[in-house]
Amino acid sequence: MANGANGKVPHMVIEGIDLSFGGAKAITDISFTVYKGEICAVIGPNGAGKSSMLNVINGVYTPQQGTITYEGKKFAKMKSHSAAVMGIGRTFQNIALFSGMTTVENIMTGRNLMMKSTFIENALGVGRSRREELEHREAVEEIIEFLGLQSIRKDHVSSLSYGLQKRVELGRALAAEPKMLLLDEPIAGMNLDEKLDMACFIQEINRNRGTTIVLIEHDMGVVMDISDHVVVMDYGKKIGDGTPNEIKNNKDVIDAYLGVSHDN
Amino acid sequence: MYYRETGQIVRSYVKDRSMVPLREDRWIMAVFLAFMFLVVPFIGNDYWFSAILIPMMVLSIASLGLNIASGYTGQLSLGSAGFMSFGAFTAYNFLLRVEWMNIWLAFLAAGIVAGLMGIVFGLPSLRIKGFYLLVSTLCAQFFHEWLFNAYPWFLNYASSGVVHLPYFHYRFLPFQDQIFDMLGLAKEYNAYVWRYLITLIVTVLLALAAKNMVRSSTGRNWMAVRDMDIAAKVIGIPVGKTKLNAFFVSCFYCGVAGAMYSYCYIGNLDFMIYDLRRSFLVMFMIILGGLGSILGSFLGAIFVYGWPIFVTRFGDAVFGGGYLDTAFVENNSKIVVGTIIVVLLIYQPLGFAGLWNSVKHRLRIWPFRT
Repeated sequence: MANGANGKVPHMVIEGIDLSFGGAKAITDISFTVYKGEICAVIGPNGAGKSSMLNVINGVYTPQQGTITYEGKKFAKMKSHSAAVMGIGRTFQNIALFSGMTTVENIMTGRNLMMKSTFIENALGVGRSRREELEHREAVEEIIEFLGLQSIRKDHVSSLSYGLQKRVELGRALAAEPKMLLLDEPIAGMNLDEKLDMACFIQEINRNRGTTIVLIEHDMGVVMDISDHVVVMDYGKKIGDGTPNEIKNNKDVIDAYLGVSHDN
Repeated sequence: MYYRETGQIVRSYVKDRSMVPLREDRWIMAVFLAFMFLVVPFIGNDYWFSAILIPMMVLSIASLGLNIASGYTGQLSLGSAGFMSFGAFTAYNFLLRVEWMNIWLAFLAAGIVAGLMGIVFGLPSLRIKGFYLLVSTLCAQFFHEWLFNAYPWFLNYASSGVVHLPYFHYRFLPFQDQIFDMLGLAKEYNAYVWRYLITLIVTVLLALAAKNMVRSSTGRNWMAVRDMDIAAKVIGIPVGKTKLNAFFVSCFYCGVAGAMYSYCYIGNLDFMIYDLRRSFLVMFMIILGGLGSILGSFLGAIFVYGWPIFVTRFGDAVFGGGYLDTAFVENNSKIVVGTIIVVLLIYQPLGFAGLWNSVKHRLRIWPFRT
């Protein structure tokens, strides 16, 4: 697919984002557009500000400057809660699962925004509370089946392998039925089989559910294979933006990755 | 060994989220509850009611309350005795001043008032965590001592600072007088057997409610906030609201426990007994019993309260009466509880409940091994 200018609808427009922590500049004047239904990869060397970018998008960090236009609504700063309400799901680089809970409970938390019963109803455990619990369990089981987590559904997530934990985290994000998924290094640290599985899951989510996906990844093979659109960052700046093919031939990107000195 | 799980197949989500999933456990529960409700009231004597069963259940509810804030939601609190005191005074004042009040409604009011106080004293949790929060919850402890000291109205101006709770406060049945007359029972509404039954009913109801909460969205939100608050926020859980909700529920339980402590256990109202030591005791109960476990709250309370009694009785049985003096028993229980806390923290951070779970796992797969 092309870069999106031809007839695609922007899902999120990021304009002029500046983020610094005290004197340290993490992100400088970043602008790019994520189109509806695409897989957008954000790549760059370590410390380029990619994860900070995701944190800005879903409101964990507040940028000093710039705006985010999500589905036509402009925000100077996103709030985590409203980002979740608007359908932005998220996984973390170093897994942020709820370690004291089982797989199925973790994925159930993903649906918390759809569960309306109050704690009093829950304490009584009848009526709406019970109905909701069963309804959402069914939706969660679909995700469990999709991700192949049946055998570990009652296991505590702290006892699972790294690859499986990543999968459970994806499941939790997916349970919220997000319109946009932010995946922070979804396949880092996995073996080849796990990588292929994960790449398939991501593509299937994108195709079958029409979920827009923004992902950060270091594995160039996978990035170039599955993404429609690649944004390259280095030292907090955007140095490339285009289709995988355009990026492969972009001189700045090659310089950044092959390590050409920055002051020439 | 005991468990025979073959053939117990779960075919629906209703069954899957059943409160007691194994048939064997359901049997134990049914027999145990039937025994407690139908047999104990007839065979129990006042010593067992007043010195063992009632206080164990009351303290179990208090530790269950603290477990909801600390074990399930990760909000450390040292104010539990303070909230118990608010509950006790609320129940007393409602029963004293409201004509149509009965003991069930008074306990409910005790819970609600203590819960609201919990929200107030839980407000710092929005900004601070861990040990700092622990210190700020001490406020509840000092506040109740000041409040009930400074305003004798709450004690109905009792000159000694202690109120004996009158028998007619124990109104637990509609048309209680008539029913008692009809059955020819003495109107000793505060007899230990009635207190025992009141405590048992409240305990069972509150334990069921807690179990229901922790297996629903409420409980999952609590645990999400405990385990990873950033992730909880990102998936849309309102972290601040969830913390205050946990404080409300936690202090509701403590409040009811406090009301029962006064009404069902000691029969007096006295804010001095809700001192800091009691807060610590409740905290030891959940550490020993198991953080984030309902069963653990009960086991911890039973052990911490029951151990000194066991030592005394055991000593009396072995060495003859009066051989062990109270100082020995007190020191012994301190040493034992302290040692067990240290050992458990190192080897079994989930306390007695964790211990029981691993034993149960062995039983379930016996004769195979893990």
